[in-house]
Amino acid sequence: MIRPLRRIHLRTWSLFAVLLPVGIISAWLSVPSLPAYKLFQPVQAEPLPVVVRTIKTEDHIINLRSDASHHSYQLEWINITALSAPSALIYRTKNNGDVENAEIIGRIDPRGLYRFSLKNDTTGNSHFVVYDIIHHRVIEKINF
Amino acid sequence: MGVSYQAVGWNRQKKIYDWLIFAFCALYLSTFVGLTVVFNADYTFETVLIRSTSTLAVLLLHIILSIGPLSRINRKFLPLLYNRRHLGVTMFFVAAIHGTFGILQFHSLGNVNPFVSLFTSNTNYGSLTDFPFQALGFFALLIFFLMAITSHDFWLHNLSPRVWKTLHMFVYVAYFLVVMHVMLGVIQYETNPVFVLIMVIGSFTLICLHMIAGFKEVKKDKVISMMTENGFSKVCVVDDIEENRAKIFCLDKERIAVFKVDGKLFAISNVCKHQNGPLGEGKVIDGCITCPWHGYQYLPRNGQSPPPFKEKVCTYDVKVIDDQVWLNPNPYPEGTERAGAPIIAP
Repeated sequence: MIRPLRRIHLRTWSLFAVLLPVGIISAWLSVPSLPAYKLFQPVQAEPLPVVVRTIKTEDHIINLRSDASHHSYQLEWINITALSAPSALIYRTKNNGDVENAEIIGRIDPRGLYRFSLKNDTTGNSHFVVYDIIHHRVIEKINF
Repeated sequence: MGVSYQAVGWNRQKKIYDWLIFAFCALYLSTFVGLTVVFNADYTFETVLIRSTSTLAVLLLHIILSIGPLSRINRKFLPLLYNRRHLGVTMFFVAAIHGTFGILQFHSLGNVNPFVSLFTSNTNYGSLTDFPFQALGFFALLIFFLMAITSHDFWLHNLSPRVWKTLHMFVYVAYFLVVMHVMLGVIQYETNPVFVLIMVIGSFTLICLHMIAGFKEVKKDKVISMMTENGFSKVCVVDDIEENRAKIFCLDKERIAVFKVDGKLFAISNVCKHQNGPLGEGKVIDGCITCPWHGYQYLPRNGQSPPPFKEKVCTYDVKVIDDQVWLNPNPYPEGTERAGAPIIAP
């Protein structure tokens, strides 16, 4: 190697000794910090302390909860596996399970935990229907 | 060294070298594909190809750029230098596969020319996070392409060593572009810190190697003889030079190699006409000074390549007085015959 070339090499790498770390560090610092994964659902109410009844299947756990004095009731839905429908509504129905005139309790998505407040008269036998509003089909009937 | 140009002047060493390159690349790619199939089976063939060739090209580039300083630091690495161009061309082909499939996958399915799409689909040149990193890779690949097609000695001869070397020095620009292509590309969305670590280790190693080799060369250039007489400078004693080997001195602008051959000392320019290789680090084979880089040969007495070759380097006057070697740094025209300095045993 001739002398001018040796000088160019040394100067180039002296420059790189500054440029490369600056470039690498700048690029590293500019990596966007992605938000932590959050389930797209509203914050759920705190669970009421007393579990009145429980229904447990392979896919979900459903709890009927109340406070200590049994004045307030709550329906708790915990998905264990993903729901087959992209979205579903929970209705409280009469015995026949008809959703046309039923009371809407709330909507659930394929994953997550949900708690819905129930009106005070939920005692004794309560009938619920989980309904796929997109495909218009009953996913499950729940009888406490 | 050849009288006429051939695509590749194959010899046993070149064949072994190229087979090793091929085996390494094949092993790397198959391992990468195998691991991806096991751990990320949902990746498409194109994605696996883009990723495997990109990492292989980056690895080869680091190896290529470390061969030069390594062989200046330790002569044992000189065999790697011999066919570095083959490794460079291989690296270009691997990078070209990466670039081609990258353009096919990300820019060929729209209604815009893929190359127009490459430069217009993302114009956030002011943002580091969203920087159009593919453009950096494109320009690096363009430089590698120019280097690959001019890598043959035909172009070295026709472009002149100066133009050729200047063109090939752009490999450093390409290296910087590649580092930023990776850092502003895959690093921006791959959360695995291994990628950053690999680039940091690679860059740090190269910087250290080049700086060590560079300062070593500066140190060599700073050795100045304090004793001067009638244009001659005292440089060493006769026994400092091994038989059929040389010692290199830098008295003026350029280095001079003083060889000991058959009881005489001969001084010629240290710079090989082929690619500026260090002749003084070579040895005398079949009566000819042989460049350690690519085997170009010169006769010690006149600095001329043996016929039919036509390369010539400058010669210098050297004399021996009382076991001391004296060297005159004024060069004779290239190919000038000198008698050499007889070594008289005390």
